[in-house]
Amino acid sequence: MQLNPSEISDLIKKKIENFDLSAEAHTEGTVVSVTDGIVRVHGLSEAMQGEMLEFPGNTFGMALNLERDSVGVVVLGAYQHITEGDIVKCTGKILEVPVGEALLGRVVDALGNPIDGKGAIDTTETSPIEKIAPGVIARQSVDQPVQLGLKSIDAMIPVGRGQRELIIGDRQTGKTAIAIDAIINQKGTGIKCIYVAIGQKRSSIANVVRKLEEHGAMGHTIIVAASASESAALQFIAPYTGCSMGEFFRDRGEDALIIYDDLTKQAWAYRQVSLLLRRPPGREAYPGDVFYLHSRLLERASRINADEVEKLTGGKVTGKTGSLTALPIIETQGGDVSAFVPTNVISITDGQIFLESNLFNSGIRPAVNAGLSVSRVGGAAQTKIIKKLGGGTRLDLAQYRELAAFAQFASDLDESTRKQIERGQRVTELMKQNQYSPMSVAQMAVSLFAANEGFLDSVEVNKVLDFEAALQLYMKSEQAELMNTINATGDFNNEISSSLKSAIETFVKTHSW
Amino acid sequence: MSELATLARPYAAAVFKRAKETQAMAEWSQGLAFMSAVLSNEDMSVVIDNPKVSKPSLLAFLLDICQGQVNAESENFLKLLVHNNRLSLLPTIAQLFEAYKADEEGYVDVEVKTAYTLSKEAKQSLTATLEHTLGKKILMNVAVDKSLIGGVLVRAGDRVIDGSIKGRLQHMHKALQ
Repeated sequence: MQLNPSEISDLIKKKIENFDLSAEAHTEGTVVSVTDGIVRVHGLSEAMQGEMLEFPGNTFGMALNLERDSVGVVVLGAYQHITEGDIVKCTGKILEVPVGEALLGRVVDALGNPIDGKGAIDTTETSPIEKIAPGVIARQSVDQPVQLGLKSIDAMIPVGRGQRELIIGDRQTGKTAIAIDAIINQKGTGIKCIYVAIGQKRSSIANVVRKLEEHGAMGHTIIVAASASESAALQFIAPYTGCSMGEFFRDRGEDALIIYDDLTKQAWAYRQVSLLLRRPPGREAYPGDVFYLHSRLLERASRINADEVEKLTGGKVTGKTGSLTALPIIETQGGDVSAFVPTNVISITDGQIFLESNLFNSGIRPAVNAGLSVSRVGGAAQTKIIKKLGGGTRLDLAQYRELAAFAQFASDLDESTRKQIERGQRVTELMKQNQYSPMSVAQMAVSLFAANEGFLDSVEVNKVLDFEAALQLYMKSEQAELMNTINATGDFNNEISSSLKSAIETFVKTHSW
Repeated sequence: MSELATLARPYAAAVFKRAKETQAMAEWSQGLAFMSAVLSNEDMSVVIDNPKVSKPSLLAFLLDICQGQVNAESENFLKLLVHNNRLSLLPTIAQLFEAYKADEEGYVDVEVKTAYTLSKEAKQSLTATLEHTLGKKILMNVAVDKSLIGGVLVRAGDRVIDGSIKGRLQHMHKALQ
């Protein structure tokens, strides 16, 4: 932005006009000790828990331990210039971050400062990072879907708007890939996305941003990045920052999706901060309130009713519900889900998508373990057509798992068992999906319908994906109208069923895969 | 500093209670001030921190210095501190004692910094205003600090009221950034 000198002086004049000239009253304290980003401050008798404190050199800290003679403060950012005897001022405010539409398409740090080199963020609204979740009266049940665009998940483990669905798995099992596909699939749906990267390599974050830009998904996305090189305090508050940004949309009657990638690292960062503050360690050296750390965060993901939206917007938005859907990610070590943090988060969320490395390595990607993955509210929120067709898939896979061990004796098995095994193999194959290629409801419906109606049974197992690709191409070019109807309504009735059947029959006759 | 206060609090509270019982507040206050002045002397720290100086000889040495300056109970208190290895707490104890005393008598110490020397009327009106805002009697301690440029800076415990030109300029500097 280029300004000429007269404009600049006008701007300054305006600022000076609005400048508050009254004497400033505050409470002060002095720094007693600085250790690994934790500062002990003497004085500050009126400091609040979680209050933002001002250090010299435009540095801020957050008061975490209020003791009789001192306050334990974590410094948010660099602390090397803080020395013993420095003056610390109370600001009288709980830590706040900027929120608003202007953040969409931007990459910000845990305090909401832009780090993408695209200039200042044009928003005046701020919101405290710690807020109490909506109460019981303000809520509405979850009954609308969030389409993640992945066949295996949308068909078997559906996620509703306002739900918390955990993505859990070892390293290198495609957890982030699911999250990125989910963001890409929200393009044009009006769902705003927030991706919170905690403790990741800067290069990984840059990769995510690049991929989202390539697929045109940055326009509806905010990225909150607290990389591995940033202080533990910033990694600890980053999810709350992202959550406040998401709540902005929820409270205005819109829908938002937030991904915390990943909460294991946040728990590590919090453990570090807590131990340095000398709070007593508990199981796995985590502090006593590590459950509350995650429960208070995930409880803020919710669907609120139209009355609440009307109240929060002061009557500006009426008749619309708002939602914030959360997809927290947890990384397990060696498939151990009984460790402290995974069990906690499993018990907090409304279901989990369980990813396994042996599935991933055997080429089943996304590596979803259909048996262990559940969604506790999703069924009510599923699109009708997917609900109808997806039910069969789940059953086929469950039966297949029981019989899979006998697959090698195929010749000795009776007819019905062999059929079930073959169906299972084909459905497993069909559930594979490439990264960055989310599918629409109609595309999924076509694939699932083909499997349910037995069109795949005559196709060789290793040709299933080719068959599917050719079928999708055919449907797109020849049956565009039918696809549009399904996408628009999501209904499933005899008419749609018969048109799908005849379309696929016509396609099968071409033998073009 | 904060850990010292935690350790010193029981001593200070005990001294304060005893002083109240025997109505010897002023004597104790003087005695503690004198002893902490002695202990903060640089040459003294050489003796106190020296491990070769035994407790009895250190005590005898200290009592010798304090002779006539403090009352018998203060001497006993000094013996107790030497015995408990808590001599280094004395300045903090004195500070806390003064705070208890001020609290009991219902006044606060207020440090006022001004750019220019205050006139008598200004001082009076400032005292009245501060007593009104703080809700207590005040014990004003005025100092001149040219770097403030103008106005006053009031400090009462942790509370700071910054009405100086310097503070406002800093505030403005931030607002214009």
